[in-house]
Amino acid sequence: MKNVLKRIIFGPKEKEKYWWINVLVPIIAILLALVVGAIFIKLTGRSPIVAYKLLFGTSGLLPGPYWKDHFAEMLLSTSMFVATGLSFAIAAKAGLFFIGAEGDFLVGGITATYFGYAKPFANMPTFIHLTIIFIFVIIMGGIWGAIAGYLKVKKGIHEVISTIMLNWIAVYLIEDWLVIGPMKANVKTGISGTPYVSNTARLPIILHGTRLNISIIIMIIVTYLIWFLLYRTTFGYEIRAMGYTLIYGMEAPKAGGVDIDKRMIQVTFLAGAVAALGGAFIVLGILFQYPPVFGGGYGFDGITVALIGQNEPLGIFLASMFIGGLRTGAAAVQLAHIPKTFPSIIEGITVAFIALQELIRYWLMKAATAKKKSYVKIQGGADE
Amino acid sequence: MKALEVKNIVKQFPNVLANDHISLSIEKGEIFAVVGENGAGKSTLMKIIYGLYTPTSGEIYVFGKKVKIETPEDAIRLKIGMVHQEFMLIPRFTVTENIVLGDEPHRGMIFDYKRAVKEVRELSERFGLKVDPTDKVANIPVGIQQRVEILKILRRGAEILIFDEPTAVLTPEETEDLFKALRRLKAEGKTIIFISHKLKEVMTIADRIAVLRRGKLQGVVEKEKTNEVELARMMVGRNVVLEIPHVEAKIGKTVLSVRDLTVKNKRGIIGLKGVSFDVHSGEIVGIAGVEGNGQAELVNALIGFTRPVKGKIELDGKEIKLLTPYNLRTKGMVYIPEDRKRRGIVLPFRVRENIIMGQHTLYPFSKNGILNDSEINKFATKKLEEFDIRPRNIHVRGGNLSGGNQQKLILAREMSIEHKFLLASQPTRGLDIGAMEFVYKKLVEEKKKGIGVLLISLELSEIMGLSDRILVLYNGEIVGETTPDKTNEEELGLMMLGLKRQERVLQ
Repeated sequence: MKNVLKRIIFGPKEKEKYWWINVLVPIIAILLALVVGAIFIKLTGRSPIVAYKLLFGTSGLLPGPYWKDHFAEMLLSTSMFVATGLSFAIAAKAGLFFIGAEGDFLVGGITATYFGYAKPFANMPTFIHLTIIFIFVIIMGGIWGAIAGYLKVKKGIHEVISTIMLNWIAVYLIEDWLVIGPMKANVKTGISGTPYVSNTARLPIILHGTRLNISIIIMIIVTYLIWFLLYRTTFGYEIRAMGYTLIYGMEAPKAGGVDIDKRMIQVTFLAGAVAALGGAFIVLGILFQYPPVFGGGYGFDGITVALIGQNEPLGIFLASMFIGGLRTGAAAVQLAHIPKTFPSIIEGITVAFIALQELIRYWLMKAATAKKKSYVKIQGGADE
Repeated sequence: MKALEVKNIVKQFPNVLANDHISLSIEKGEIFAVVGENGAGKSTLMKIIYGLYTPTSGEIYVFGKKVKIETPEDAIRLKIGMVHQEFMLIPRFTVTENIVLGDEPHRGMIFDYKRAVKEVRELSERFGLKVDPTDKVANIPVGIQQRVEILKILRRGAEILIFDEPTAVLTPEETEDLFKALRRLKAEGKTIIFISHKLKEVMTIADRIAVLRRGKLQGVVEKEKTNEVELARMMVGRNVVLEIPHVEAKIGKTVLSVRDLTVKNKRGIIGLKGVSFDVHSGEIVGIAGVEGNGQAELVNALIGFTRPVKGKIELDGKEIKLLTPYNLRTKGMVYIPEDRKRRGIVLPFRVRENIIMGQHTLYPFSKNGILNDSEINKFATKKLEEFDIRPRNIHVRGGNLSGGNQQKLILAREMSIEHKFLLASQPTRGLDIGAMEFVYKKLVEEKKKGIGVLLISLELSEIMGLSDRILVLYNGEIVGETTPDKTNEEELGLMMLGLKRQERVLQ
């Protein structure tokens, strides 16, 4: 019974000969980025050791003074990066370059705001209220994402074009109309932006004394569900087949009876819905309203996260923790007289090294086969 | 004098040992053939010599000197040239422009086209490779395009010329011409390495023949001291009879009925014009024709890739109104594609994943949309055994299988789906004898089981050997219907070229 359960939950073990290369690539990219970052700091005459001590000491990734606070903040932003990272990765698995997470994030945020303060819902118990909010967030974000899929299927519009345009449409629709128009807070209250969401719509805190809320638990579950969807279901099987055959016009899965068009729309719905969760988290867990000007950027950070995480759900979760940690520790580096935007440089260089991953893989493969030269000879008579 | 010598070449790919300690030595001025089944390691070996792959271990000597060839540029510098199976020509350029590209004669900054033309003309005369230097490559036949490729590498001073299955794209006449050119090059003292799996050609042209099997060198033989039968035995490790056993057709009811089917091709031009025919259970209907006469359009319509302009398709007596791949598949059609890499398998997918494509939504492979891995693995293991797919490892990626094994994988998959009609579109394209024989055997088995088979093939021998009825496709129309015992290859050839037409009456 235990074994059966294990198989259903985790699936069978597949031995990949050089599986560790996939794990090492992002780690090496990050280490290289840290080295290059250190060189930059050194060149400006400051101490990289002090800077990194401050950065990681307050990032929440490593134990240290006030760890509880940093840890909570790190996980708080992690959950949002996971949302937008998974959004990009799901679509990437199906061969789509979906960069609409930014817009979906905002749509998720405004949807959560509305259902958070709107009257009929405001007096319900927290659990029911949040459930309703999240259902609408998923539907609205999903629809916003699926527009891109629909346009691609019906009109042949490339998803990069449509998602970029949808991002801007979302920004202007929300910030230039909803927030200052229909959803504006009553002037007498003196609040700019939308009204605050009711107390029942705020995400329950799970770590006392901090802001850390259930969003991280939700994202752990979602990460697992996405992994399950990708690798354990026929849906995931089909979309992976689509992504793998992108250069061949997806003909192999099409010939196998896969309804490419339908899957494409479903994938963009899913990508939009997951990204929208992130928007809901920032509203329901941090801001509690939709401000007149929204910081944003989480959608595009999602691409960074997905790249570092190699489009794998677990990898994205870990990459999100890393980026979340960098952002949390960013303020502290100012103590070493380094601007707080410095961690963004590290992110950027990491992505640059990820872009060079074929080279890193080549080195690793060479190292691996050099070590195993004798092994090849023994194996000599292997079959084709 | 030895032109080229390789010693103990080993090339290890993930999961595949493509070359296993291969040592060859090739004399200057000989035509040296390398034969072997698909996946035997011929192309890998040549790519190593040409610098496209680096060997895992081993040494290469060119004209007695030990060399390291890491890029094609190194190879060219060592006077090694390669004519690839797919030509690397620019269609909009003229013959001359293509030949001099990358090393153009110039006067100052300006490209000296006149001198280039003169150079090409001289080169072409010297080696007896006739081309018109001012023709656009897009307008000349494949055989001439190949000559342009050869001239291109000769101009770079190639002494050792590698030909990777050069006859695969040629007509018999063009092949004759190529052989004449090769003999001439030999007389000029060039060394020629000729890769092929067509034994007849090898016996005509080669001086010595090396046989590879599964990455290992089986031996080098002189042409005079061998024959096709022996070579075939060395290649596949047993006697191969390419005789197709004749099985009497037990014709049953109609499984596929096509009426007045008109289909546009990719460029929006009508490529198939009002074609009507039937396929009955228990028979193989062959469609003969030169490539590009409507086969692709017919296939695309039958598998639901392109919507026909008009006409109807009936499967098992029921008209299929909505022609989508899914609908056709669930109504009893299976399909062996002409391009396995493109349409047959998902290259990065493992064998176990590839083998359920098309039936992955069915029980027991999945239930409520969740895959059942142990059932999939059980099924895959069984099919690997049943269809002799090597290696016997369900976790190997589809792209790491050899061509023949990829095709077997497709056969295993398609034939295990419940079906009444099998569409086999060039099922032996690019396969070696062993794999071809396997495909033939399986098609005949299908026929015996009472499946209706539509076989589209460019190989006349295949059509003649397997079909119970033959339809000839020319210029998008069926120009004749006959049976193998009422016709011969010559007559079919005439019909295929549109020189002979037969009136046919559909019952």
